[in-house]
Parts: sequence; C-alpha cells; structure tokens
Amino acid sequence: MTLYTPIPLETVYEGMDDYRPQYMNIRLNGIDMQVEMINGVQAKIVRLFSSNPNDFLNQAYAPGAVIEFRPTLGG
Amino acid sequence: MADKLEQPSVQAPPEERKNPVLENIQQLGQTNTASAAESNIFCMTIIGQVEGHLVLPPQNKTTKYEHLIPQLVAAEQNPKIEGILIILNTVGGDVEAGLAIAEMIASVSKPTVTLVLGGGHSIGVPIAVSSNHSIIAETATMTIHPIRLNGLVIGVPQTFEYLDKMQERVIRFVTKHSKIAEEKFKELMFKTGELTRDVGTTVIGADAVKYGLIDQVGGIAEALAELNRRIEEKRGNDGGGLIQ
Repeated sequence: MTLYTPIPLETVYEGMDDYRPQYMNIRLNGIDMQVEMINGVQAKIVRLFSSNPNDFLNQAYAPGAVIEFRPTLGG
Repeated sequence: MADKLEQPSVQAPPEERKNPVLENIQQLGQTNTASAAESNIFCMTIIGQVEGHLVLPPQNKTTKYEHLIPQLVAAEQNPKIEGILIILNTVGGDVEAGLAIAEMIASVSKPTVTLVLGGGHSIGVPIAVSSNHSIIAETATMTIHPIRLNGLVIGVPQTFEYLDKMQERVIRFVTKHSKIAEEKFKELMFKTGELTRDVGTTVIGADAVKYGLIDQVGGIAEALAELNRRIEEKRGNDGGGLIQ
C-alpha cells in the first residue's frame, strides 16, 4: 500500500500507535455495517457491507453518521 | 420485537399541531427552506486523503473509496441521474484506492465533469483527468511528483523496477485521459528545484490547462454548464433525434 501525497508521512501517521478504534459489526434496518463505538451509547458508521448500491446513496447511513443505541423493552 | 408498553392510566394530552412555518423561523431564521428538488446531477466530493487499505489516524480528513465506488454504481444504474459532478480538493492518498476511483469515473457511461478546487495533488491528478471534461479553479494547485515507495508493501522487495511499474500505472492513466504528452508529464514529475522536500512541480490553475492536463479553467458555473450541455447532447443522441 503506497501513499502518494505531498504531506510528510510523519504528519499523516501521527498518533497511529495510540489510535485503537473499537469496531463492531451491526445490522441496522436490514443493512449490515461496521460501526465504531464513540461512547457507551453512540456509534459512528465506518462503512456499509451492503450489496445494494442504493444503500450507499442514503445520507443517513453515510460513513461518519452517528447512531444511538436505545434500550427497548423486550418482547 | 414488540414493545409491550403499559397504557398509562391518564391519557396524555394530544400533541399540539406544530406550525411548520413557525418552527422554521425558530430553528433556521427563515420562513421557507427551499425544497430540495430531486436533481438529475449526482454530486460527489473527494476531499482530504484518499483512504485505502489502512485506516488513517483521525487527524486526517479522509475520502473512503469503498463508499464512493458503490455510489458510482448506483449513479450509473439510476435512470433519474443523468450526469455526475465530482468536486476535488484532495492531498492525494492511497495509490490503489485513487486509481480505483479514477477508473470507475472513467468507465461511467453518463457524462462526468470534475472540478478541482484548492488542490488536486498526487493521486488527485488521475482522478481529476478521469472524467469526460475536467475544470480547474484559477487558484487551485496540482502537485506532480514521483511515487515514493512508502507504507506497507506485502512480501515484495522494494526494487527500482517495482517502483517504476507503480509509477507507470499513474503516468499511463494520466496521459491516456488527458492531452498532456508523456514526455511533458515525466518532465514535470522529475523536475528538481521547485519543491523543497521532493522532486516535482506544482502546477497552478491556468498552467494545468496550458500543459494539456486539464481541459478548462473555471468554476462551478462552467462545470454545471458543461455537464448540462453534455446531458442534453446525450439525451438528443439517445432520443433518436426529431421525427422528420
């Protein structure tokens, strides 16, 4: 993997060793996706695993969108 | 999963019908927001670093290529979308991810226009030229420099030939999709003395057009005019012309 950029690599990779994101794979409204936990109840979408291209046009599921986990009463 | 909520003994008062205009004034400071009409143009932005196989630390703003590519598939398939506008302000990034995006844009059947604002450095150059028509803002810059073999290369010894091959991919793509000659592009790429930390050239706005790299100097108006013109042309060609 080659980075082709004029930015010095020490700037790009700074903090790489300390960056340990907590990833989780979830299924939201029928779409499989990878999310990163920001705190106990919120997660940020990292990427979608969907095979339907139209899912990628939905801004609600764009990478970076924050989703909240809310408890629901079991049924 | 059914929610089994107990009915409260006292009926809660029905929600007041909120006046939408009033809400708009409170929240946005204006009475009516312009309703977003469905556009026939699909606009995509390529910003920051083009992130590829490695997730970069959070201070980097990144473009995730794995999200852009299915979006291009959806745009190509969706009959309502007639043209694609790609706006670039990128410092480059992963070579393979960048070339993947560039090849996808190049192989889309609908009219595509790229607009380079701010910067279109390194791997941003192939992405910028991959469309049917490229436009660069007067103040935008494109840094053309050799690929440095850095980062992870799995199991392949970093020889000069490998480096050369990687570079050939980029040179070949750029010369194929633009009017610049290979010798000129290589000359810009290996020029010494201009960049302090590297060999290469910084090409600004009108110079990019002069070298044949980019088609036109302009901005959003020119980009949309060109895209709409090409959409009309395609409609005319596909429509079969007037019935005589």
